[in-house]
Amino acid sequence: MTRHNRILLSCVYWAFVAYVFVPLILMVLMGFKDSNFIGFPIRSWTLDWYTGVFADTETLAAFGYSVAIAVLSTVFSVIVGTWIAVLLEGRKFWGRAAIFGMTVLPALIPGIISAIAFRIYARYLGIEPGMGAIVWSHAVHNVPFVVLVVMARLSTLPKSQIEAARDLGADPLIAFLRITFPYLVPAIMGASIFCLLLSFDDFVRSFFLGGYEPTLPVLIFAKLKSGMSPEINAIATVALVLTAVIGVWAERFTRRMNKDS
Amino acid sequence: MSSDPLVRLEGVTKRFGDTVALDNLTLDIAQGEFVTFLGPSGCGKSTTLRILGGFEQPTSGRVLLRGDDVTKRPPEKRNVNMVFQDYALFPHMTVRQNIGFGLELKGMGKSEIAKRQDEIMSFLELTAYGDRYPAQLSGGQRQRVALARALAPDPALLLLDEPLGALDAKLRGQVQQELKSIQRRTNKTFFFVTHDQEEALTMSDRIVVMNKGHVEQDGTPEELYFHPASRFVAEFIGETNLLTGELRGTEGNAVVMDWFGNTLRGHAPGGVPQAGEAITASVRLERLGFHAERPTTANAVQGRVVGKTFLGSRMALDLMVEEANGATLKAYVDADTGQSVGEAPVWIGWDESSMAVLRD
Repeated sequence: MTRHNRILLSCVYWAFVAYVFVPLILMVLMGFKDSNFIGFPIRSWTLDWYTGVFADTETLAAFGYSVAIAVLSTVFSVIVGTWIAVLLEGRKFWGRAAIFGMTVLPALIPGIISAIAFRIYARYLGIEPGMGAIVWSHAVHNVPFVVLVVMARLSTLPKSQIEAARDLGADPLIAFLRITFPYLVPAIMGASIFCLLLSFDDFVRSFFLGGYEPTLPVLIFAKLKSGMSPEINAIATVALVLTAVIGVWAERFTRRMNKDS
Repeated sequence: MSSDPLVRLEGVTKRFGDTVALDNLTLDIAQGEFVTFLGPSGCGKSTTLRILGGFEQPTSGRVLLRGDDVTKRPPEKRNVNMVFQDYALFPHMTVRQNIGFGLELKGMGKSEIAKRQDEIMSFLELTAYGDRYPAQLSGGQRQRVALARALAPDPALLLLDEPLGALDAKLRGQVQQELKSIQRRTNKTFFFVTHDQEEALTMSDRIVVMNKGHVEQDGTPEELYFHPASRFVAEFIGETNLLTGELRGTEGNAVVMDWFGNTLRGHAPGGVPQAGEAITASVRLERLGFHAERPTTANAVQGRVVGKTFLGSRMALDLMVEEANGATLKAYVDADTGQSVGEAPVWIGWDESSMAVLRD
């Protein structure tokens, strides 16, 4: 690589970084602006918007609602996803490709389409819009990610590990619980965090399947309709920091677990 | 039923699709034996091991363990343990927990397990490593943990699947001695699988040479080395001279063959071949003797040294035998003899018992 190319490439790289981060930085900055209108110049600074967010029961309720939905849907996704992964990985049977295809499909369908489909299906089944319906749609949407992550981990488990367990007296179930499952824990942890963030972040499905109680993204959307104010920036910044911290922690955690084994 | 052998394989055949991995294998293994299954990859040795461990089911035939038919019994219900090629230590368990795994599943009590763990760890010099994880151990230590884990539940038969393959050459020699001595001290029956003939010769009481799913020869290391029954065994184990000639007949126990006009006498560990057919005989390199005069050994030919290779403790000589159509022989001699042999023709002699006429 010539010197010229290197400079060009680093320019492209930093332009990309700016493209990604400048909007985020602006968003964070505006949350500290002491004025009702978003935009430059910023004449004075304040933390009032943040204190407002933490005092606003509506926002806090929406946050709690989103977290509850994320946790519940993640539990379902992880159980179903791990189960499917263990069933599919390293086995050959008739219909395997079909099951795999159907499992991965929800991740590929555009959000709006799947949201409408869920809405219609929910009405058909008599499921009321609300928490149950949202959890259901999030869980289905997130299963493919669990399946893919867990299958990838499972494929690196040497066959001899299970054989050794069987050899030492473990039946297939004990071998799974004592050898396979501990080996999968880092993958399951990673997939869980990913599912939590996906669910917490979701707007379309929550919007279509929600009842009167808004999730945090739905609440932000509702507030936007009544006009931009730095309050929204403050809410978004809190959500951004939380998800980033969890994401980075999860990444480091899974990497450490992987290294240990 | 004390008259039953520890292990009996009865007509065991294993097919994978169209390939026959094991062809009607019948074999007994006695209590306390160190048996090695030796052969190239795909010879059926690993299949035999996996059938004994319960990881494969024979297509036909029976496996008896102390007279009990265990053919269809899963691995967890057999009193047989295995040392895996990659050791298969459980990465999330310490050395102590790895060793305790099989004991726990046997339903032993906590204090009993601890006692057995201590016992086996001190026996294999692992006491200092009890709290370490497999990732924190060296290759040799891991190998000992794998052995400890397999020995802890006190199996009737221990299976070893090329467990020395992952070790470097220097360590391997040391571990070979260790394994042999552990086997003697525990008086356990070891079923060892390897493709390394040197390893097999060093450790085994008995070697079963496998080729294409059947037994080529079954005997002590000495028998296999000096009295190979087939060409495959002669070539697979050690280095040898192969002499191709024609069978003349037998005189008592001796087999008489013609080697380019020279009459040679050997013995036939694998049975006397059909008369008149082209046959091959094997003479080990160190069994050729050098003489100034025609020796009184059963076989003697004149040859000239055409090449010398210094090997430290000994020397390898390449010899050309003119009266045998210019055939070449190779011999190992001590360095002094090697140095003193000149250009002039010498007499080469060997005994009847040093030459094995081979089955094809």
